[in-house]
Amino acid sequence: MSRETSSSVTGVLLDDDTLGLHDFAHTCAVEPHWVIERVESGLIELPAQGDGVDRVQWRFASTHVVRARRMAFVERTMDANPELAALVADLEEEIARLRRRLGD
Amino acid sequence: MDFKDYYQTLGVERGADAAAVKKAYRRLARKYHPDVSKEPDAAARMSELNEAYAVLSDPEKRAAYDTLGPQRPTGAGQGASGGERGAQGFQPPPGWASGFEFSGGPGGMEGEGADYSDFFESLFGHAAAAQGRGGGARQAARGRDHHARIDIDLADAYAGATRAMHLRSARLDGEGRVQPTERTLEVRIPQGVKEGQLIRLAGYGAPGGEGMPAGDLYLEVHFNPDARWQVEGRDVTQTLRVAPWEAALGGDVDVTTPAGGTLQVTVPAGSRPGRKLRLKGRGIPGNPAGDMYLVLDIVWPPADTPRARELYAAMARDLAFDPRADANPTPRS
Repeated sequence: MSRETSSSVTGVLLDDDTLGLHDFAHTCAVEPHWVIERVESGLIELPAQGDGVDRVQWRFASTHVVRARRMAFVERTMDANPELAALVADLEEEIARLRRRLGD
Repeated sequence: MDFKDYYQTLGVERGADAAAVKKAYRRLARKYHPDVSKEPDAAARMSELNEAYAVLSDPEKRAAYDTLGPQRPTGAGQGASGGERGAQGFQPPPGWASGFEFSGGPGGMEGEGADYSDFFESLFGHAAAAQGRGGGARQAARGRDHHARIDIDLADAYAGATRAMHLRSARLDGEGRVQPTERTLEVRIPQGVKEGQLIRLAGYGAPGGEGMPAGDLYLEVHFNPDARWQVEGRDVTQTLRVAPWEAALGGDVDVTTPAGGTLQVTVPAGSRPGRKLRLKGRGIPGNPAGDMYLVLDIVWPPADTPRARELYAAMARDLAFDPRADANPTPRS
């Protein structure tokens, strides 16, 4: 294997409203309609953005990326329906929260 | 580079059907999923399982992989299939995947691409390489985003930090063979990052199709466990141990912060255990910055000397204190 050393690079923090619908879908390796279905059914919750906000104005945060990737993973590998995958994601988030409280 | 026996990884026979492959993967995924598994090497095993399943669950990839077959011993010769093992380990023969078209777009892989092995990368992991070896017509598209986890200390979130990361990719050599490449990247982590937040390194994901940009690399930040601090968002909570007289009479005490500095904090007189003091803006920096919460814990000196026992006895005698007064029922007259 060849090895190269690259120069330094500064990461950019993904703020709470950074990603639009299509970038979000690309990052999660899913199709935009997959995202739309799960937002509209409440499985991915966006902050209140007012009625009538166009989908292209939706903004997603880091936490949404992690959640959506977990859900997509469970749906894909376990053939789970979206609600069950969301429940698994809920439980994983709760486990992570409790572990943080324990300092585990 | 070693040959990877994906059938062995999943514990199935080479002739196993798709249902058997999926069943084996699910069983092992439940056992080794890093969010729930107690196995010490769970993350590494899960990565191996994902890689094996990515190949064996995809008919095209599996068919191409099967042409490589079990690895031949050194000196057994090299054919159009079977692969080659020399001083450098396993190498797939040139053109080994001709006639196969891997699904999944550029790179032909789903999910956790950043975690796959050199073996996988050399076979399936590079769009340009796949095109170069006649992998079939592909739609030009932006490269896939990759995801990886990075563990930092809480102090790094206060001050920022630099971490070395090793990224794997693949490129064609002069003979048209795919060569795994490892690149070391010095990543500067910005101040103010939160647990679970993503850091984007633009252009460090998978290469794009012809004329299309590369994907991005996303680093998911996690703090190394530290029993001294609990973190929620940018708020940080720690226990502040105080002496009984500091809690009773009040006073100034020094507090060591995650940033490594020292703060002087005033403990109000009459404080009880569990009282929470808020230090506004002393949590993780940001806009807005988080707060720091100090939860008081009163630590009593041991009564292990005559003088200490004398002081405790004096308190018992002079204070007429009943810590169970609220709990004891009042005698009825």
